[in-house]
Amino acid sequence: MTFDWSYFWQSLLTPSPQFLNGLALTIIISVVAMALALVLGLFIALMGRSRFIPFRLFASLYIWVIRGTPLLVQLVIIYTGFAAAGLFRFEDVDLFGALIKGAVQAAIVGLMLNESAYISEIVRSGLESVDRGQNEAALSLGMTPLGAMRRIIVPQAIRVMVPPLGNSFNGLMKSTSILSIIGVAEMFQIGSTMSSSTFKVFEIYIVVALYYLLLTTVWTFVQTAIENALNARAGLPRAEPVLKRLFGFRSRRHPAVTAPVLQPVDAA
Amino acid sequence: MTVYTVPTSVEVQPIVRAAGVHKSFGDKHILTGVDLEVDRGEVVVLVGPSGAGKTTFLRTLNRLESIDSGEIEVNGQRIGQRANPRGRLVELSPRDLAQQRADIGFVFQHFNLFPHMTVLENIWHAPVHVKHERKADAVGYARELLVRVGLADKADARPRSLSGGQQQRVAIARALAMRPALMLFDEPTSALDPEMVGEVLAVMRDLADAGMTMIVVSHEMGFTREVADRVIVMDDGRIIESGEPDQVFTAPRHERTRQFLSKVL
Repeated sequence: MTFDWSYFWQSLLTPSPQFLNGLALTIIISVVAMALALVLGLFIALMGRSRFIPFRLFASLYIWVIRGTPLLVQLVIIYTGFAAAGLFRFEDVDLFGALIKGAVQAAIVGLMLNESAYISEIVRSGLESVDRGQNEAALSLGMTPLGAMRRIIVPQAIRVMVPPLGNSFNGLMKSTSILSIIGVAEMFQIGSTMSSSTFKVFEIYIVVALYYLLLTTVWTFVQTAIENALNARAGLPRAEPVLKRLFGFRSRRHPAVTAPVLQPVDAA
Repeated sequence: MTVYTVPTSVEVQPIVRAAGVHKSFGDKHILTGVDLEVDRGEVVVLVGPSGAGKTTFLRTLNRLESIDSGEIEVNGQRIGQRANPRGRLVELSPRDLAQQRADIGFVFQHFNLFPHMTVLENIWHAPVHVKHERKADAVGYARELLVRVGLADKADARPRSLSGGQQQRVAIARALAMRPALMLFDEPTSALDPEMVGEVLAVMRDLADAGMTMIVVSHEMGFTREVADRVIVMDDGRIIESGEPDQVFTAPRHERTRQFLSKVL
């Protein structure tokens, strides 16, 4: 086996500015897409719970289509397909002095749409995990349904939603690697450019993998901190330690919402 | 001395008036025409075999359950509905319904305390956020109520750290904090260990002595005999017998009452 250790260490410890730009773009796209997807996902979840039937229909149709088709195909349709059909073309825009490439916009839109479908399901099951009696107690105290949602249901549902949402974000960061297909210069794309010019394929992709690992690991710490903050506020014990969860198996595609953790204890 | 402030009123009309209340779940006819009037200050206990519709009826009184036909008035207001200019009955807006509910305390079988709040916050939350009382006042009253239910030392505890009996006493304090005109209790001791039943009944007895209007669904016959002004026996979705506890318990008029009492007394 040939493995150029010095090239490997050099790429890992002193990455080129180009590579760092790719890393930054990966982070920015992930965070922006996730933030937008949270808003859209909440919206879709609320539509799914609406009393207005067309809203419910739209929500289930949306979730069905988005979850039933690959992200890769969605991205190509949004960016290349729409432009080819003359429907819509993402143009580069100047936002406060920063040039946002059309492909980057399409990437954010695509990831947002894709992620929002999963998030709306997490939100839905999170809201459903709160005992019905909580809503009734709130209503009986004179809260409006909206007030009960805001003050009683959501604060409890959030605690249940954070772990699957965190997993979802973890998956989103890794999904950005397929953005290279529409020409977004994120970390994976930079890596493949470097590998084709240097032929250090193995070394480069190991470095790329380690940087993705770094991103998701940092996120694990952030997520644990968020969970602990929520637990402290809710008077719950601390979340399981980072080291333990790092080596546990977690899945993004089946965001298993944990059993409701905030149920009142029945005297039994 | 008592800290409950029961609104005094010169009105002589009953505080609760239900007439011809029907309710079905699917093809199950749960309430088959319930008529009931309750006066201010009265303590009424609903008894009857399970499935008789006691809990469902109680829940219609603050419209946690809607009704199919009939009419329910609390404090002279039709609950959950109003007549539109054409005389048709329409649903109240969520805000108006919430306002009606704010005057009706409800105590649940399973307490339903808010687990993300401390005991004290459970009690002052609604007065501050629903009735817009000043927080200092609401917290002060919440502490008084905690003293009254014997849990002054648990103000900063979390609900889940309390026993069932303690949780139910907090739930009663939480309902009282809204200074309701009427208190509804849905089997408040059914989910409790036997040794905790007494402490909850003691709080309820105290409340009755203070003149609170109470409608209680209960299987506690000792409590009923001692505290109730009137016992209502329900069976098959309607009221089959009503009277003073001694009369109903010792000389029931209805055969079904006799059968039911022979099982629980």
